[in-house]
Amino acid sequence: MEAPQYVAARIQQALAEDARTHELGIHVDVRGDQLFLRGQVSGTEQRERLGQVAHEAAPDLRMHNEIKVVVVSEPGEDEHLD
Amino acid sequence: MSTLTNVRIAAVGDIHLGEDVRGEYRKRLEGIEERADVLMLAGDLTRHGTLEEGRLVADELRDLPVTTVAVLGNHDYHSDQQDAIAGELRDAGVIVLNDDGVVIECGGTKLGVVGGKGFGGGFAGKCASEFGEREIKDFVAHTRSIAEAWKVALKEMQADRRVVLSHYSPVKETLHGEPLEIYPFLGSYLLAEAVDTVGAELILHGHAHKGSEKGLTPGGIRVRNVALPVLGKAYAVYCLD
Ligand SMILES: [Fe+2]
Ligand SMILES: [Fe+2]
Repeated sequence: MEAPQYVAARIQQALAEDARTHELGIHVDVRGDQLFLRGQVSGTEQRERLGQVAHEAAPDLRMHNEIKVVVVSEPGEDEHLD
Repeated sequence: MSTLTNVRIAAVGDIHLGEDVRGEYRKRLEGIEERADVLMLAGDLTRHGTLEEGRLVADELRDLPVTTVAVLGNHDYHSDQQDAIAGELRDAGVIVLNDDGVVIECGGTKLGVVGGKGFGGGFAGKCASEFGEREIKDFVAHTRSIAEAWKVALKEMQADRRVVLSHYSPVKETLHGEPLEIYPFLGSYLLAEAVDTVGAELILHGHAHKGSEKGLTPGGIRVRNVALPVLGKAYAVYCLD
């Protein structure tokens, strides 16, 4: 059986290199037959695509897509550099 | 003698725009002229660096009411279309820096901006050096030549105030939150060293999505990681008082 660290590395590689995602900042954890995805993206579609690519890379694992969608808000307070 | 007026800099990096969010970022830029004098984009404007995405970014940034300066990021290089993307941006009125500088008039103050994509290599004491295989030497030499170009551009620049715009980080403080193991791919101290040698008031960068906003160079120059996921808002505004 492939060690979980290698499976996670392979999934992470897929998320970075797959033309549908190209996402470098996603944290991938494999525990037993469970797969956890964590991180932040700017849209729901990107989160779904990441889930899809991860699933294709490891179809036998049960996936938990915990990636957070961060909505870009209005600019907040200014910082004064003096 | 020129009097220094405050300069308000809006900054963001890693907007990673794609067709599915067309028009949305532009909406967030509404009213920017009330908040800032200039907008600086710290690279990774696209997801895959395709020309289509480059055109989309150019559309989003076209003819903004404030002077807009950008550098590209590693994602914008992914499809080998970086020159064409820069061309699209320039046609849309965006100043694109590629290891050179520009001087912008901001209410009587000459604001000098120097920058480019930057590159990795790591941080003092824990970095790659020009030794061994050709591939490693090329990697380090790439960063070194970029740092040298910034130093020259800063030295030659006739400006009242100076800011540096990069994609990769010059310091490790603003990487805090990223795994230590990937620091060498997130930036290089050579960039900070170059800027410290000549001096500037602020260094802006992106790239480290999981990093933190605030840091300082060894020489005491303020560093801000303006990657969109770090800011959690459309852009940050820094006032040089
Ligand atoms: Fe990025
Ligand atoms: Fe990047």
